[in-house]
Amino acid sequence: MAPETTDFLYPFIEADERDATALIVDLAASAEAKASQSKRLRASTLKRFSTQLDEIAAEMAQRFLDGGRLFTFGNGGSATDAASFAALFTSPPSGRALPARSLVADEATLTALGNDVGFELVFSRQLIAHSRPGDIAMGLSTSGNSDNVIRAFGEGRRRGLLTVGLAGYEGGEMAACGDLDHCLVVNSDSVHRIQETQDAVGLALWERVQQCVDGERTR
Amino acid sequence: MSRGGDLSVPATTFSAESATLGPMAGDLAIAALDMARRFAAGATMWCAAPRWPSHAQHLAVEFVHPVIVGKRALPAVAVGGVDLVSTLRVVSSPGDLFVAVAAADDPVMRAAMRRAPAWGVRSVWIGQGDRPDVGAADHVLWLDEELALSAYGGGFVLVYHLLWELTHVCFEHPGLLTAEAADRDAACSHEVCVSCSDEGRLAEVVTTGPGYEARVRTADGIEGIDTTLIGTPRPGDLVLVHAGTAVTLIED
Repeated sequence: MAPETTDFLYPFIEADERDATALIVDLAASAEAKASQSKRLRASTLKRFSTQLDEIAAEMAQRFLDGGRLFTFGNGGSATDAASFAALFTSPPSGRALPARSLVADEATLTALGNDVGFELVFSRQLIAHSRPGDIAMGLSTSGNSDNVIRAFGEGRRRGLLTVGLAGYEGGEMAACGDLDHCLVVNSDSVHRIQETQDAVGLALWERVQQCVDGERTR
Repeated sequence: MSRGGDLSVPATTFSAESATLGPMAGDLAIAALDMARRFAAGATMWCAAPRWPSHAQHLAVEFVHPVIVGKRALPAVAVGGVDLVSTLRVVSSPGDLFVAVAAADDPVMRAAMRRAPAWGVRSVWIGQGDRPDVGAADHVLWLDEELALSAYGGGFVLVYHLLWELTHVCFEHPGLLTAEAADRDAACSHEVCVSCSDEGRLAEVVTTGPGYEARVRTADGIEGIDTTLIGTPRPGDLVLVHAGTAVTLIED
């Protein structure tokens, strides 16, 4: 096994350490601490965003009712969270299915664009091909600095889309992005805790959109 | 609870403080050490989530491309496709890991989990709602929340983020990751067991014939067995092998 680069930080750890029980107890305590930190961040963030989520949901619901579609995008773990978010709209556990699509789902399109025009354009080029005024663009980036996400917001704004961004840390470039209608910044410096909280924000947003769409239908 | 059963931890050690995770905190710790030991020995981690493919991808990218600079990139692959069992059977090697995010009643996942021991693959099953049967996987990491909220609200993501974080803590304890250390823990928890080679071993039928003979795959590799006691099984069937003979056909 190759040595960890952080080994020098732990001179007290012996290579001939034998008792795993102490480690297991430490690991369990660490897991619990991180989980409760995640839970607190989710709760405080949802409370802080409550009014803003109501506004975004109302605007999204109106666009869905008028025939709009949702496009989601991000990189790495944020790409998979964007895909989960789109799936939540198209295949909801309850309520009304709404049209949504992840722009990372098609590897042929993604690699063709990345190879031919550049990775910074993989999402904006797809918005050029697919989107129309009345649609919704939602991008996720824990740093707030993903170039391809920022560029997609610009393209979405030019085409009349509602643009929504989810960021972490202090918001990065996304916080200063003039092409965003709404920017939700999860204030944490842990990528993991940011992603978990962004998922909770996404779920809360979906629930509110369902309420708006349902209210409109039964009115 | 762990099918592997390599380590037992006093439940009272952390359950009092574990307001958020409950007993899963201990389950996560034991799973992470087991995973770190397998990675240290060269394992590939196969990730599947048939109902929510993006969770399998998130899990894989977490290990392959760590968010913390300097942490080791580990071999992890999201697997999907039309036939998960067939894919895992051919791509996995003895010593590998299989981590799934799926409901307990997912028939494909049940089939894959049942076969993992015959392939020599250690299994981790993440989910929530009704739990899988006892012994359905080596490690069962189960959330109490309602199913949909865990899939979309960050619950599953939290579980595999914690798995990644804990696994990397284990790499700071190389003395506990050796085969000898794993054997030591296994010996402690199986004090009363007789030699495993005298017990029934799970095997998956590869080919049959001639007569009451079959080639089967076990955690130790391919071997020939006698099937007189169970008749002629079909390729893919699971059997219990004792002393070179199939003693039981395990029904799906």
